[in-house]
Amino acid sequence: MLKNYIKTAWRNLWKGRIFNAMNVVGLSVAIACCTLLFLTVHYEFSYDRFHTNLKDIYQVYSVSHRPQGDDASTSMPVPFLPALKAEYPEVKYVSRSANSGVVVRYANKELDLDAHYVDEDFLKMFTFPLAKGNSSNVLSGLNNVVLTEEAAKSIFGNQEPIGKTILLKIEDKPASFMVTGVAKSIPSNSGILFDMLIRFENNSIYKDNINQWDNWTHLVFVQMKEDFDPSTFTRRMQPFTKKHFTRSIEALKSDGAKPDADGNVFSLHLAPFANNHFSVNMGGTEGSPVSKIYVISLLIVGCFILIIACINFINLSIARAFTRSREVGVRKTLGAGKWQLLTQFWIETVMVCLGATMLGVLLAGLTMPTFKAIFRSHITIGMLLQPAQLSGCIMLFALITVIAGFYPALIMIRYKTVSVLKGNMVAAKPGKLRNSLLVVQFSLSTLLTICTIITWQQIHYLQSKPLGYNKMEVLSIPTGYNEVGSNVLQIMRNKLGNDPAVLSVSGAYNNMGRGTDGSMRTSIQGFNYKGHEIRTHIERVDYDYLQTMDIKLLEGRDFSRTYSGDTTAIVINEAMAAKLGGKNLVGSFLPMNDDKKPAQIIGIVKNYNFRSLHEEIEPLTLTMNPEYSINYVYVKVKPASLVQTFDRIQKSWHAEFTNTEFRGSWLNENTERQYQGEKRLSGIFVSGAIIAIIISCIGLLAISIMIVMQRNKEIGIRKVLGASVTRIVFMLSGDFVKLVLLAAFIAFPVAWWLMDRWLQGFAYRIHLQWWVFAAAALLAMLVAFITISFQAIKAAVANPVKSLRSE
Amino acid sequence: MLSLKQISKYYQAGGSKTYVLNRIDLDVDKGEFISIMGPSGSGKSTLLNIIGMLDEPSEGYHYLLGEAVHQLKEKQRSALYKQNIGFVFQAYHLIDELTVYENIETPLIYQNVKSSERKALVADILDRFNIVGKKDLFPSQLSGGQQQLVGVARALIGKPKLLLADEPTGNLNSKQGEEIMELFSKLNKEDGVTIIQVTHSEKNAQYGSRIIELLDGKIASSTLI
Ligand SMILES: Nc1ncnc2c1ncn2[C@@H]1O[C@H](COP(=O)(O)OP(=O)(O)OP(=O)(O)O)[C@@H](O)[C@H]1O
Ligand SMILES: [Mg+2]
Repeated sequence: MLKNYIKTAWRNLWKGRIFNAMNVVGLSVAIACCTLLFLTVHYEFSYDRFHTNLKDIYQVYSVSHRPQGDDASTSMPVPFLPALKAEYPEVKYVSRSANSGVVVRYANKELDLDAHYVDEDFLKMFTFPLAKGNSSNVLSGLNNVVLTEEAAKSIFGNQEPIGKTILLKIEDKPASFMVTGVAKSIPSNSGILFDMLIRFENNSIYKDNINQWDNWTHLVFVQMKEDFDPSTFTRRMQPFTKKHFTRSIEALKSDGAKPDADGNVFSLHLAPFANNHFSVNMGGTEGSPVSKIYVISLLIVGCFILIIACINFINLSIARAFTRSREVGVRKTLGAGKWQLLTQFWIETVMVCLGATMLGVLLAGLTMPTFKAIFRSHITIGMLLQPAQLSGCIMLFALITVIAGFYPALIMIRYKTVSVLKGNMVAAKPGKLRNSLLVVQFSLSTLLTICTIITWQQIHYLQSKPLGYNKMEVLSIPTGYNEVGSNVLQIMRNKLGNDPAVLSVSGAYNNMGRGTDGSMRTSIQGFNYKGHEIRTHIERVDYDYLQTMDIKLLEGRDFSRTYSGDTTAIVINEAMAAKLGGKNLVGSFLPMNDDKKPAQIIGIVKNYNFRSLHEEIEPLTLTMNPEYSINYVYVKVKPASLVQTFDRIQKSWHAEFTNTEFRGSWLNENTERQYQGEKRLSGIFVSGAIIAIIISCIGLLAISIMIVMQRNKEIGIRKVLGASVTRIVFMLSGDFVKLVLLAAFIAFPVAWWLMDRWLQGFAYRIHLQWWVFAAAALLAMLVAFITISFQAIKAAVANPVKSLRSE
Repeated sequence: MLSLKQISKYYQAGGSKTYVLNRIDLDVDKGEFISIMGPSGSGKSTLLNIIGMLDEPSEGYHYLLGEAVHQLKEKQRSALYKQNIGFVFQAYHLIDELTVYENIETPLIYQNVKSSERKALVADILDRFNIVGKKDLFPSQLSGGQQQLVGVARALIGKPKLLLADEPTGNLNSKQGEEIMELFSKLNKEDGVTIIQVTHSEKNAQYGSRIIELLDGKIASSTLI
């Protein structure tokens, strides 16, 4: 029986091979896309799942209820952890975590490695199994170090690492450490990534801050006891908070803080570590979190493509099934039962689906390297074979084949055998369902098209908006952690001073945009000014900053070597001036630091976007206060020879700093890097839209072939009666174009709502324009019209005598 | 073997009923060979389809081989059909994608006959109908007469007790038609298959044992030959 079914199925499929080939191509493209997208989504959701204690692990964060809104921060003061451990019995394990690069010296080797400064509980809490050593005591000594397998290999080669002594240079002071453990390779889907673990007490911030409750320097992770209820934490911590954070609370109160519902201006909270990979708004988490919106967009686009492809598949199956209504009728007169017919149709569908799936997975495998590069994905085809994915695929497969195979068969079977055999069937079209499915298909395609255009417009806007400083000809070079920043700046000034292509050199605490080092610093200071709380961003700069960056000075002057007291002077931006209010600000003093001398305003600069365009320009204060380090050197070069000058600067850097990589980049590259997330999103929409439209058109093409086949005789008669080719083409495509237009109108409000929401995330954004919607609708209609005309014209120009005679 | 009591078939046409069959009573005994005749549109095909359970009457009682068809469930009806009825059509209705051999084999598949048994049965009938040489051809490669021969062979492969034929010779020339009629008559006499055929040809009607005249949905006459 089965053999017979497969044989007939194959012959049937071969008979409609053009049709079926289109079906298979459409479905396999969709399967390939979905494989890539869903694997990526699954991977993103798999982050940190390997920690066996995951559900009990939390990250501590604080919320300050400031007058202008709540401020969450994950940074904690050094004495917090011992106090918590002593006073809060529900805590099982607790560990601080700070990370920085250290230089490792062993034998004649010197390596830059990423060190995590943690407490002893760290390895008990998190599941980082050790290849060597015992996790209960590897970090018991202050000078113990745990390396990862990779780090151990790069330091010691094939030698036994345990018991070896290495020299670590932490903030310029070398110290000896003994290797007591080797951790197995960290899975790539881990938020916490490190080369080595050392005790927190070794961190340079530790000793200075051991009793400082208002210096926020590191992250704190806790593992609670099994039956702990996280919702009680904040309330139960209130006495603790009041006792230890008195200074912060007082400061907040004097700034006019708004107490929350419980009457607190400052509170401590727990964020589940399970959500770590998606906590983009926490400001300070392990790893590089991704926005859930991004992951969910991937999921949605994948679903859209799958739905569109399934609709195609169902539509094509229905269309094809109708050409076979007579066969079904005949089989019924030969004694075929309902289930036997359903099975027969189902087997055909399974065969098509199977072909498409194999082709799709193959396609996914072939396009995977490109996909991984574009979307920074870590997936492999092998992931498909994991039980969860495999069963998901099988279920999806079964669902599609059942709908696409059973549904048309069910319709066929319901028809009266007698009328089918009389040939009355051709007249009965599967109109309504097919049309609604087409509308759904094109709604989704139009939606994706609109999203594509709008995200693209917004990104273009972000990239071309003048920021108020020179981003084209200024190079930003991170000073690295091997050197003292101000020294680096001095050396570079001297070296580049004679270079005719270099216009000026300066330095700053914070980068513009996002450099190749990926760091972002935020430094905000609040103080009381004439009874108001003023909060301002602080940027430590150096001489020639305004000149180097081409920032326009509105009043007063820049920092200058000719004035001696400029380390306590400040330059403010317009936003800050507006906040302070009043005229003649230049020359006045601000009580910025309670204990020290007030700072004198020496100049006011025009507003410039020192943060990304997601944010409005906020008050900014430029200072030369040496307490802040210089982390970036800025070099402005002549526009004529950017590339050559870059190479020259790189060369002189390498000559001077042999141990520090040159990571310089142009500021426009940095600002573009700020919108990487948006670009990826737009990339997803573009690919999604293109694929959705292509698949929809394959479906439309197949349906038009179907229609033309069905109406071949009618077309012939009409031509004999004198209808022109154009008339026939419009007759055939008119209905479909109307459906596409309807689909577009359904997509409009959804697209408008979605994109409006998305744009709210930008302080600087484009306005939604009606023509984008019109263009998307027009595009869809045009594509649909061309697709159908393709067949319609063929039918219309064919010799009518032929089609009539063949009846 | 077959009994129709007060069978009517009507279509609702704009509020009023148009009767295609009007209170038909008909009894057919085992071994009869009946020819149904009548003008076009008189309801011959409709009657045959109702007898063969391809169509349902609007009213009336229908007994086949002792079963009350009007009370049977879909599944039982299907089983009754499979085991006892073979259908031959004017338009042959062979399945284009199947070879001669496979077309003939198909009813056996639906009756869940074992593969080895199927082979023997099909080989046997191919031999009897003298179409062994054509067994791997597709319907489109056969002449009309050959196609109808295959149609008959297919209708007979399940050894039905009742063979229903709706103008089996309608698309054939007179010589091909004669061959089919000879075959029917032989089947009726030698194998005892009960046959009901619809025909427009006076000559073909004479092969049967009884002629029923249908006129405006009523049996006008029933003549034994
Ligand atoms: N679905 C239907 N709706 C309305 N009337 C129908 C329908 N099907 C058949 N009829 C009518 O039933 C009548 C009988 O049809 P039937 O096919 O039984 O005639 P017939 O005697 O076989 O004619 P012919 O010799 O031409 O084959 C016809 O008048 C036809 O118009
Ligand atoms: Mg008829």
